[in-house]
Amino acid sequence: MTYALPALVFVMVALATVQALRRAAWWRLGAAAPVAWGAGLLALPKRYLVDVHHVVARDPYASRMHAVVASGLLAATLLTTLAVLPPLGGSRAYWAAVALAFGVTAAGSVLVGARRYPKRPKRLSGGGFQILPFLLLAYAFGGLAAALLLALGVESAVALGLAVALAAAGGLGLAYEVRSGPMRHAVAGALHLVAHPRPKRFEGGRPDAALAPLDLDAPRLGVETPADLAWNRLLSFDACIQCGRCESACPAFAAGQPLNPKRLIQDLVAAATADERAYAGSPYPNARPVAAPAEPFFRIIGPDARIHPDTLWSCTTCRACVEECPMMIEHVDAIVSLRRHQTLELGAVGAKAAATLDNFRGAEEPGGRPLTARADFAAGLALPMIGEREVDVLLWLGEGAYDLRYGRTLRALVKLLHEAKVDVAILGAEERDTGDLARRLGDEATYQQLARANVATLAKHRFRRIVTSDPHALHALRNEYRAFGGDFEVVHHTAFLLELVEQGRLTPGALGGAGVTYHDPCYLGRYNGETEAPRKLLDRLGLDRVEMARHGRRSMCCGGGGGAPVSDIPGDARIPDIRMAQAAETGAGIVAVACPTCTAMLEGVTGRTAEVKDVAELLLAAVEAGR
Amino acid sequence: MKVAVLLSAGRHPVSGRGALPRLEAQAIRLAAALGSARGLHAGPDADVVAEALGRGLSQIDHVALAAGADPVPALAAVLRAAAPDVVLAGRRGQGGDDTGLVPYALARALGATVIPDVVAARPGSEPGVIEVEQALPKGAARRVVARLPVVLTVHPAAPEPSAFAFGQARRGRIERLDVAAPAEPAAAAIAVAEKSYRPRPKMMRGAPAGGSAADRLKAATGGGEAAQANVMVSPEPREAARAILAYLRQIGVLAPPPGAG
Amino acid sequence: MTRARRDPRAERAAAALPGAARARFDLFARCAGGRPRRDPRMEAAAQRVDGAARLRLDRAQTGRPAAAPAPSRAEPAAPPAPKTIVMAAPAFLVAVVPDLAAGRLSPHDRQLFGAARTLAGADGGVIALAGAEGAELGPAGADRTARLAGPEGYAPDARAAAIASTMAALNLRHVIFPETPDGGDLARRVAVLAGEPLFADVEMVSAAALMRPAQGRRVEQRAAPARLITLAADAVAPYAGAPREARDEPLEPSAAPASAILAAERIPADPARTPLALADFVVSAGNGVTDLETFRAVAAALGGTPGASRVLCDAGLMPREAQVGASGTVLSATCYLALGIAGAPQHLQGVAGCEHVVAVNTDLHAAMIERAGLAIVQDAQVVMPALIEELARERGAFA
Ligand SMILES: Cc1cc2nc3c(=O)[nH]c(=O)nc-3n(C[C@H](O)[C@H](O)[C@H](O)COP(=O)(O)OP(=O)(O)OC[C@H]3O[C@@H](n4cnc5c(N)ncnc54)[C@H](O)[C@@H]3O)c2cc1C
Ligand code: SF4
Ligand code: SF4
Repeated sequence: MTYALPALVFVMVALATVQALRRAAWWRLGAAAPVAWGAGLLALPKRYLVDVHHVVARDPYASRMHAVVASGLLAATLLTTLAVLPPLGGSRAYWAAVALAFGVTAAGSVLVGARRYPKRPKRLSGGGFQILPFLLLAYAFGGLAAALLLALGVESAVALGLAVALAAAGGLGLAYEVRSGPMRHAVAGALHLVAHPRPKRFEGGRPDAALAPLDLDAPRLGVETPADLAWNRLLSFDACIQCGRCESACPAFAAGQPLNPKRLIQDLVAAATADERAYAGSPYPNARPVAAPAEPFFRIIGPDARIHPDTLWSCTTCRACVEECPMMIEHVDAIVSLRRHQTLELGAVGAKAAATLDNFRGAEEPGGRPLTARADFAAGLALPMIGEREVDVLLWLGEGAYDLRYGRTLRALVKLLHEAKVDVAILGAEERDTGDLARRLGDEATYQQLARANVATLAKHRFRRIVTSDPHALHALRNEYRAFGGDFEVVHHTAFLLELVEQGRLTPGALGGAGVTYHDPCYLGRYNGETEAPRKLLDRLGLDRVEMARHGRRSMCCGGGGGAPVSDIPGDARIPDIRMAQAAETGAGIVAVACPTCTAMLEGVTGRTAEVKDVAELLLAAVEAGR
Repeated sequence: MKVAVLLSAGRHPVSGRGALPRLEAQAIRLAAALGSARGLHAGPDADVVAEALGRGLSQIDHVALAAGADPVPALAAVLRAAAPDVVLAGRRGQGGDDTGLVPYALARALGATVIPDVVAARPGSEPGVIEVEQALPKGAARRVVARLPVVLTVHPAAPEPSAFAFGQARRGRIERLDVAAPAEPAAAAIAVAEKSYRPRPKMMRGAPAGGSAADRLKAATGGGEAAQANVMVSPEPREAARAILAYLRQIGVLAPPPGAG
Repeated sequence: MTRARRDPRAERAAAALPGAARARFDLFARCAGGRPRRDPRMEAAAQRVDGAARLRLDRAQTGRPAAAPAPSRAEPAAPPAPKTIVMAAPAFLVAVVPDLAAGRLSPHDRQLFGAARTLAGADGGVIALAGAEGAELGPAGADRTARLAGPEGYAPDARAAAIASTMAALNLRHVIFPETPDGGDLARRVAVLAGEPLFADVEMVSAAALMRPAQGRRVEQRAAPARLITLAADAVAPYAGAPREARDEPLEPSAAPASAILAAERIPADPARTPLALADFVVSAGNGVTDLETFRAVAAALGGTPGASRVLCDAGLMPREAQVGASGTVLSATCYLALGIAGAPQHLQGVAGCEHVVAVNTDLHAAMIERAGLAIVQDAQVVMPALIEELARERGAFA
């Protein structure tokens, strides 16, 4: 009878393996992808224990629950297999240890159950996930009882049989669930951590957020069916545990636009599966009707496919979902690759977005404005064009320069640079748009053209570094142009101004304790990990700085990224309104911003009570007050 | 219905870079609703119109022509041979002489009827007939039924062009036609002197013939609305209403009051 | 800071007397002869209009003058009644082909006569080729008029044929068309029919030369006056001299060519359903309008196409298609009446192309007030019913 429990565990492992292999057959239908297996395997413990834990720990209950139940389950199962070694199988001490492991599992299972009963939090999925606690409890208590009987030496075949049967009911259930149930996340998640498509994100340093360039000579551009996705991307979607953290972070979801990143990932899973179970989480808000095709590996996007185009175009590419996902899934990569197919192959973009892309192609600028007019905001300020001489700072003006309101910010910035006697120049009409917006809208062809042209222009000139106030431009120039041969030192204006203040080249006075809260731009905070410089700068201005509940890398998007304003998918509310309401909760009279898009989005909120001011504008006021 | 879409080597209105004129992109969209369409370009280089391949045309015929040569004889020769039922064109070229004569000259050469400013077109109720909708000023329209063949020029209010699709442009084909340009009498040309354009202030609209000299002076120097801007702070509602109505009548968007002539 | 209100009707009545005896500043002569005076500040301001390839004088965006100009008064002394100028035997004829839409001369039509007068000089006569009788033709500057006979309805080829045969019959030196949808179409038909070159879209006229833009307004072409000309709008001043005789010139009727047009039906504009982008007059509501019933009634009474700011569309109070602005529709209307709209940059982008803006807003400092040619600082809720009442009163007074 001592072998009953280990036998069960072996059967479980065998069943789980079969189920995993059945699932793996689907992953293999994805496109080939280079994977550094050795390095991935070696890095697995660190990726799991450090990177995954770092995210999981943001929800302390979930973190404790998962640590207890996962370690208990693993320990109990592994320990039980050792019973086949004769000296152990007969040892009551050994069985006591096994009982302890099952006991831990049981405790964890109770935590899992308590989280879902009596009331399941909204962001968690139901369906199979509601059964999970029972399977865990059955396995844990069955195993615990069997091990205890053996540890105590109670010789009752009936009791032991009952206990093992209970464990089998739970254990085999769990193993069966490896193919398409909740336990899939464990197997797929571990494999995903090994074969992650962005191994660099685990290496520390700046976030790895640059989009990969698309091969424009490929026979098919972008992702049309799941077969166009790399196999390890298909695998990554299977790692989703449907925790809904991405859903709670998603600004489009909050605004009632038809996007829910969790649902999107599950739709991608379903698109690559013949008999995926029905999804039981929150839907896309205001979901547009689609006729989901029965067969797998069909077109993914379309009113007659699984995901409605409105869902795809609602995304602001803010990466909040990526930041929150404990399974390290890369939602934005998936969304952009799907957009690429829509834009490049089908021309299926909204009318406003199409006009914007036309402007990019025709005028190298999203608003179709003359490149010569970019520096008009600086009328009356000395702002030299770059020439033969090497300059310290090349100021990249970006799209905001055309905006009347944002011109004020840029004027403030230029005045500060003059005040600090910075050797600065601009490209003038040679500055084309970086193409960031075209790229997020899926128009990789236009983006690459602009990227190459800008890299060539920049290569002609001599400067020490580029300073820009536009985080989108910063991200393109610093991170995404690397793939096109651009290797520049790019500094955001907030970091640069802090440097000037710290060097004593700017001496701000005090602004008299006004309340201020800082809104992190996604492309600065999450995309580049820069959250401190603007805060340090504000703290030097004698302001009373308070934080919004969502700030830093977990900040909420203003709604301006990823072409969302030009795609303009209607929802129940507008993202900037939600964000300004969050700012109002702090009671601060000033919302400090550091991005032209954030400025435009947040200033556009009607009936706002707080002022929207760029960090540079506040610093200039302080410098002037200090004179 | 056999449809040909004339494509010209336009220039982007802001950047001056080569670009497909928007009206021609709209023409492609109208053509798609009528039948199988081919693009047709006469000029030194077809690359400038390749954009049309990403807008819904799968094939462009290219007649090689020296730069600056009159495209009409070559286009007429090709179209006479292909005998399309419908020829679609922009209202005016953009970047060339921009006289807007090409469609008319071609229609004359082909014995086709010109219908300008088209916003919609569909096959008529009987064969050999087309039904089109023309945009007229101020939102009015005209529905015209005409016998084929026709040359249609497109109005800006026609449906938006299809978005450019790079992948489709990559797959489209440009076929070079060798046309022995028929020795048609060259069109009488006007000898012109060219220099770069200098914008001039426009006359003020709404300054009628009888306006005072001061009005016309203001009009000529561009001293327009702002110079005579009128701000009424807290007027009586009735006074405000009268001011608005008078203003609307002055600029001509509101009919004069009944009985005022 | 109430600015003196102008009474446009009184002004027009005062100025309507044609052919003032005293010397008038002839704007047209300046255009034709010498260099027109430039106002660099105005030009610079005008060039700032986003995205406009050609110069647009977006007047409302030019800076407000520090002091409002004094309201123009009626001309002091009424000039003596003008004498009709009679040209017994003109040496040659210059023809104009006005659109005469709805039987009336448009400002653009009148400008044709100004151009024709320059080309006719002292010896030539100006003849108006019109489909219909026009009492205004003499005062507008016609020495002669000729009735073009032709079939009823839409028959542009017949009209072109009639003009081409008149051209030959009267040996017209020049024929000037307005560069409008109708006039431009007609001119091109005549050009290919007569085998004559066309000098299209002319922006400057003198006796010796014409100027037109080409290559997407990158170059300007100058040439001796061609026989067929189309004239751009608002480029040349209308004829401002004493009325002329407008004597009827009898024409031999010519045979109309066979037409391939089988049917043509005019569909009148319905402002309520005109797509915003095409509308000529847009009446728009913003957050300051709470009574949308009245708003819709105002739009209908004024014959404007209803528009709205984003807020109202977001709130579902107005349809999404009604949205004016960067993410809605960019207008090309002549006039924009903004009721309770602040004028956020994103909204103003949609209005940038509108020539005239009327704003009703309670906030004197609203950007829309700044943008407006007529600004009413008042509650839209009281102005709207007043508008309806005033229109009803006018109708009542007439009945
Ligand atoms: C009797 C007669 C008189 C003429 N008189 C004049 C004159 O007075 N002044 C003058 O400038 N020209 C005159 N020409 C016209 C001349 O032959 C050229 O056609 C004209 O200069 C071209 O103008 P554009 O290229 O700007 O095109 P537009 O005429 O403005 O073009 C209209 C449309 O034609 C199509 N199109 C234009 N170019 C091409 C192309 N290369 N391939 C395919 N499609 C094209 C496009 O769809 C375009 O939108 C005359 C021609 C004739 C027959
Ligand atoms: S995608 Fe990630 S964050 Fe979203 S539900 Fe799945 S595991 Fe959770
Ligand atoms: S990137 Fe932002 S908007 Fe897009 S799905 Fe993720 S959280 Fe939502």
